[in-house]
Amino acid sequence: MKGGWRQRLQDELAQAWVVIVKDMKVHYLRPGMIMFGFMMPFFMFFSFSVRREMGAAQGVARLLALTTFFTAAAAGPFIIPLERRLGTYDRLLAAPMSLLTLLLGKASVGALFAIGVSIFSLLVGVLAFGATIAQPWLLVAGVILGSFSFSALGLIFGSIPTRNPGDVQMPSTLLRWGLLFISGTFIPLTEMAPAARTVAYLSPLTYAQDLMNYAVLGVGLLNPWLDLLVLLVSGVLFMVPPVWMHQRARRLGY
Amino acid sequence: MSNLNYAIEVNNLTKVYGRPGSGVLAVDHINFAVRQGEVFGFLGPNGAGKTTTQRMLTTLLEPTEGRIVIFGHDLAREAYPVKRQMGLVPEESNVYTELTAWDNLMFTAQLYRVPRAERAERAQQLLEIFGLWEKRDVKVENFSKGMRRRLSIAMAIIHRPPLLFLDEPTPGLDVQSARAIRDLIRQLNAEGTTIFLTTHQIEEANQLCDRVAIINHGRIAAIDTPERLKATFRRVQSVEVALEPPEGFEPSGGWGEALTALPGVTTAVKWGDKWRLYTEDPSALLPQVTDYARANELKVISLSTLGPSLEDVFLELTGQQVGTVRHEIQNDRPRRRGMKGQMGGRR
Repeated sequence: MKGGWRQRLQDELAQAWVVIVKDMKVHYLRPGMIMFGFMMPFFMFFSFSVRREMGAAQGVARLLALTTFFTAAAAGPFIIPLERRLGTYDRLLAAPMSLLTLLLGKASVGALFAIGVSIFSLLVGVLAFGATIAQPWLLVAGVILGSFSFSALGLIFGSIPTRNPGDVQMPSTLLRWGLLFISGTFIPLTEMAPAARTVAYLSPLTYAQDLMNYAVLGVGLLNPWLDLLVLLVSGVLFMVPPVWMHQRARRLGY
Repeated sequence: MSNLNYAIEVNNLTKVYGRPGSGVLAVDHINFAVRQGEVFGFLGPNGAGKTTTQRMLTTLLEPTEGRIVIFGHDLAREAYPVKRQMGLVPEESNVYTELTAWDNLMFTAQLYRVPRAERAERAQQLLEIFGLWEKRDVKVENFSKGMRRRLSIAMAIIHRPPLLFLDEPTPGLDVQSARAIRDLIRQLNAEGTTIFLTTHQIEEANQLCDRVAIINHGRIAAIDTPERLKATFRRVQSVEVALEPPEGFEPSGGWGEALTALPGVTTAVKWGDKWRLYTEDPSALLPQVTDYARANELKVISLSTLGPSLEDVFLELTGQQVGTVRHEIQNDRPRRRGMKGQMGGRR
C-alpha cells in the first residue's frame, strides 16, 4: 500500500477527526443538545444537594462527576440508530476506514462534548462559588478519561442493531440511573453499607467521583492512580462490545 | 484467479439473514461478472435480493458464503483499497440535512482523503454540474428530493471512484431531474466509470445498461444485453391494435375472448385504449386482425407490431406471465379514441 502503515494510521486518525467534527456540527452543537448538556447536570446537582450542607469545593466535585457522566453519554446511544434510520450511517460504514476508527470517532465526540461542558461547570464552580482545585492535572486527566469511558459506555447502547432511537432509550436510561444511585455520587462511599460499597466498586462512576473528590478537595477514599487506571481500562473495555456488535450485525444482517 | 478486465467478479455469493440453518435465504449462490467500463443493470422485483447483493458488494453486509473480487482485490481480505475505489448512492438520499451542500461535499472529500488542494475545486465543479452551486450555502433540509438526490450522487463521486453503485437512482423524481441523472450516469460511464445500477425501473435499465442481470428469489434468472434478452423471448412479441366499433357492437364473450380466439394469439391484454395481442408470429397475425375488423365493421385506429420489451422479458423471467390481468378485463370494450400515446416509449 502506498505510504504503508504510517500513512494508513495518519489517514485513520484524520478520518476519526472528520467524524468528530461532523457529529459535533450535526448532532451536538444544536440548541436542544446544548441546553440539555449544560442544564441537566445542574438540575441533577441542585435536586440532590438542596437542604444538605455542602461546601463549594465538594459541590464542584460532585457537579464535575455528574457532568462527565451525563453529558458524555447523552447523545451517543441515540445517534447511531438515528443515522441508521436516515441512511447516513451506511455512508460511514462504506467509507475507507476501519470500524474501530469510526467507533473511536463516535466515542471521542461524546467525550469532547462532555469535556466542554465540564469546563463550563468548573468555571461556574470556581468563579461563582469560589471553589479551589487541589490537583488541577489530576482533574484534567480525570475529566478526559471519565468522559471517554462514559461516552464509550453509551456507544454500547448505540450499537444495538436498531433504526429506532426509542429502542435504545429504555436500557440506556435504566443503566445510567442505576449507576448514578450505586456509585457514591449522592451517598458517599464511607456512608455506604459494605454490600452496597461492593456494588459501587463495579461502577466506573464510583472511580470518577472519587477522583474528582481527590482532585478538587485533595481527599479521596481510593488511590487516585487506581481511579485513573480503572477509568482508562473501562474506556478501552467499553469499546469491545460495540465492535463485536457491529461485526455481528454485519454478519447476520440485522 | 481474478481477471483484471473485470471490475466485479462474484462467485457463489450467498446471504442468509440470521443464523445459517434457521435464517432467511436472501441471495442464493449467484455468479456474475461486471466488465470494467460497462453499465451493469441489476434488476429484480421487490425482495428479490438486489439490495442485499449490493450491500454485500459495498461491504455493508458480510456474505454467508461465496467470494467477491473487485478490481482484483478479494473483498473479504482487502476491503480497504476497494472501498477507496467505490462510490455508493443508496436508495434513500443519505445526505446530512443539518449541513449545507458545500459542507456535505467537504465532509465526504475529507472522509475519502481527497487532497486538500483538490477538495474545493472538485466540490465547486460538481455543484456546478449538478446545478447546485447557487445553493451551496443553503442547508440541505431546504432542498427538494431531486436536489438531495443530485447532491447524494455528487458526494459519491467526489473522490472520482472508478466504480459507482447506484441503488434506484430516479424513483420519485420529477421527469426533469430523472433525465438529468440518467444523462449524468451516461457521462460518468463515458469518462470510464463502471456503473452498477440496481433498479426495478425496466425502461431505465433498457436505456442505460450495456448488460443486465435479472434476479428473482435470490437467484440470477438471466444475464445478457437488453437486446439479446428481448430476442430470446419471441413468444412475447405482440401486435398492438386500437379498434373503434360501431355503436352498440359487443363481441359475444367479450373483447378479450374474441381477440384471443384469433389464430396465433396466445394472450390478449387490454392496454389503455388499445389491445395488445401476444403472438410468436406478428406478421402472420396482422392480416388476421384486419380481416376480423373488416368482418365486424370495426374501424382500425392504429395497428403496429411490437418486439418484446425488457419489461416483458422481466415478467417472463420472474414468473409473472405477460397477460395475467386478461380475465379481469376481458369484457371491457375498446374505447373509441383519445388515449393513444399515453403508453409511449415502450418499444
